[in-house]
Amino acid sequence: MTPLLAPLVGDAPTITIIGLCKNAGKTTAMCRLIEELSGEVLAMTSVGRDGERTDVVTGTEKPEIWVPEGTLFATARGMLPLCDTTLQVEGVTDVMTPLGAVGIFRALSDGFIQLAGPSAVNQLAPLSHTFRAMGARRVLIDGAAGRKSLAGAEPGACAILCVGASMDGGVSAIAAETAHTCRLFATPEAEHTGLWSALSRETARYALYTLEGERLPLALEENGQPRWHELPREKCVLWIGGGVTGPTLRTLARRGAPIVLAAPDATHFLCDRTSTETFHRCGGELLVRQKLTIAAVTANPWSAYGKHLDGAELLRALRSVVTVPVVNVKGEN
Amino acid sequence: MKLNSQLKEDTGYSWVMTRVEPASPFGHALVRNPKWYGPGEQDKLEAEFSRVDTLLNLMGEGSVLLESIIHILSEFHDIRNSLKRPTSAPMDEVELFEVKHFLIYLERLAEECGKLPRLEGLEIRPMDAALNLLDPSGRRLPAFSVENAFEPALERVREEKALVENALRQTEKKGRDDLMARRRELVLKEDRLELEARKRLTMALLRDRDTFLSTMEDIGRLDLVLAKAKLARRFCCCRPAITAEARVVAVDMIHPEVADHLKERGGEFTSVSLTLEQGATVITGANMGGKSVSMKSLTLNLLLAQTGFFAFAKAFSAPLFDSVSLICTDRQSVEQGLSSFGAEVAALGDVLRQEKGKFFYVALDEFARGTNPREGAALARALVEYLGRLNCVALLTTHYDGVSDAARRHYRVAGLGALDTAAIRKDEAPLDRLSRLMDYHLIESEPGEPCPRDALRVCRLLDLEPDLMEIFSKNS
Repeated sequence: MTPLLAPLVGDAPTITIIGLCKNAGKTTAMCRLIEELSGEVLAMTSVGRDGERTDVVTGTEKPEIWVPEGTLFATARGMLPLCDTTLQVEGVTDVMTPLGAVGIFRALSDGFIQLAGPSAVNQLAPLSHTFRAMGARRVLIDGAAGRKSLAGAEPGACAILCVGASMDGGVSAIAAETAHTCRLFATPEAEHTGLWSALSRETARYALYTLEGERLPLALEENGQPRWHELPREKCVLWIGGGVTGPTLRTLARRGAPIVLAAPDATHFLCDRTSTETFHRCGGELLVRQKLTIAAVTANPWSAYGKHLDGAELLRALRSVVTVPVVNVKGEN
Repeated sequence: MKLNSQLKEDTGYSWVMTRVEPASPFGHALVRNPKWYGPGEQDKLEAEFSRVDTLLNLMGEGSVLLESIIHILSEFHDIRNSLKRPTSAPMDEVELFEVKHFLIYLERLAEECGKLPRLEGLEIRPMDAALNLLDPSGRRLPAFSVENAFEPALERVREEKALVENALRQTEKKGRDDLMARRRELVLKEDRLELEARKRLTMALLRDRDTFLSTMEDIGRLDLVLAKAKLARRFCCCRPAITAEARVVAVDMIHPEVADHLKERGGEFTSVSLTLEQGATVITGANMGGKSVSMKSLTLNLLLAQTGFFAFAKAFSAPLFDSVSLICTDRQSVEQGLSSFGAEVAALGDVLRQEKGKFFYVALDEFARGTNPREGAALARALVEYLGRLNCVALLTTHYDGVSDAARRHYRVAGLGALDTAAIRKDEAPLDRLSRLMDYHLIESEPGEPCPRDALRVCRLLDLEPDLMEIFSKNS
């Protein structure tokens, strides 16, 4: 098997696999990565509500994951009948899911497992901690919660973005959305050390700084939102601790004065492609406190709705708009 | 007697229970439904007090052993339902893991408890046979799997399966399908054998179901004794003395909830001493003089004593009552559409009816205040006389004159004394001022002594409209 994904993820301790849409080929990507990493003790789980045996939305079967002996995994105990490895129960967490409590298991033989882990991203960190205490070298996360699955990821963690034909609009639309997501993830951290330190300590919902990281006064409405029209005309840095939405970017763009917007990480950019483009066109810049890396984009031409795409065309289109390596997990180039 | 939630709220028992901190789910279950010790159960109650005493003394010596026990207790999960088991389905691997976890921690707990001084009537015993069943290797590791040892035929099947899986690792696309089919057959065989093993294990464990459940209860009781001792230590509670006669003696008693609120506002609670005998004892005194609080303190401490807790007092002795009731209408009876008087009378009626022929305690807060004073006073007086004839101990607070006439004992709040205008600090909140100048001590008085006339002084201290006060003092 030619290593396609393993060289791209390098030594990343945590790899989260996220999809741009449903049926984007996450599980195929995950299985490929697991095979390429053979020899390492892996731990895995899923985050988000993807716990059904079949995809409730599209009615398609959810493929199981083939794992080697020694793999650690966390899944709801209701999934046990669907796991055919010989297994050992290592622990039971207090994370509850609709399919029961999440347990930690070790595969004592090769075989198929099904992942149904915590629904909330903040429940991942203790689980990762336990995995490493039990000897796992890497943690793989099936990020069923989309981009949000990466929130709070530790430095050095990376993501694999899976893109598929199940998304609406054909090759060009898919390519544009992929490019938009990759660009958001490529948002850099602050270069100025003063600003970088200031942002690393910030805990408020909104804050205002100079480009060098000196705090500026920020007028807020009664509901806690900033008074947008009272922001300074000189270029400054507005920190938003919550989500950055399309309407916010459009409001800032309309001011006619360029501004830098900083967020904790790329998972906080909830803005659509057009609003982001408008914001950039008006001189706006984006920054993050912690950069998250997309190590690779995988392309899946198969559509759950039957509107299959041409695999080669999809790959070409993606490669022309993103700088991140694009991989066809089925192996053909 | 079952403690209903209104009684628990009104007396402050609920407040105390939220400060009881058991470490295990079994302990928590017992705190929600405390065991009531009634007449005839004195021996059992004394045994519980002795157990609390033993651990309290150990805490005084700074024992590390108790910390270790509390830690083990906190690791238990509530698996009672696994054993009560409404279906006949065998336990899955996770349940068996949880049972093994329980048994391993039980073993540790039994070992640590073995180092404690003997707790009469409470012993934690390990369940060796059950643990060895789930842990044939004896290594006491927490992980659980359906090992070959549970079902010898598994070894062969698993070996064959491993061979197929090995072959799969070396085979690319062609030939995988056949191997996968072969593997599937073996997986089904393995599943069947594992199921048989789990069925056998489940049945063997369920044979000990009663032992499991009674052990969990014992763990809960140990947890509760520890929690009671911690509470007693934290609040300097005393061991109640259980007597045979109809006499309740409380020395320097406090109401912990009120004391806590006071402390937050920078004040200090005045402890109160009280002796009650068969019949009615009456407390009279100034408004906001703490009559109600004293009555609730006493009632609270009776409830605590009869549920095996130490009392919030320097000394406390009481007999065992069939029931302990509190009738006070400062709460939701108005919401139910009853006037406060109607509610009181209904409640009193219930108590007298249910406790006919039994030995009971009843406390009434300002009975009949919600009706016209002449009738109210007469009713309260009659009640005091009536209670004097029953096999009960009663405590009443009142404003009315003459109520204490027929009482067994009469206490009054020391009160405001002489009003010293120099004592009024201008920037002080009126309620705090009243609090500061009030002497909350209870003084024993003669039955029949008239109630103090303090309303005027209270109004002045609370800064009521001076013009209104002038008219008042002219008329009184």
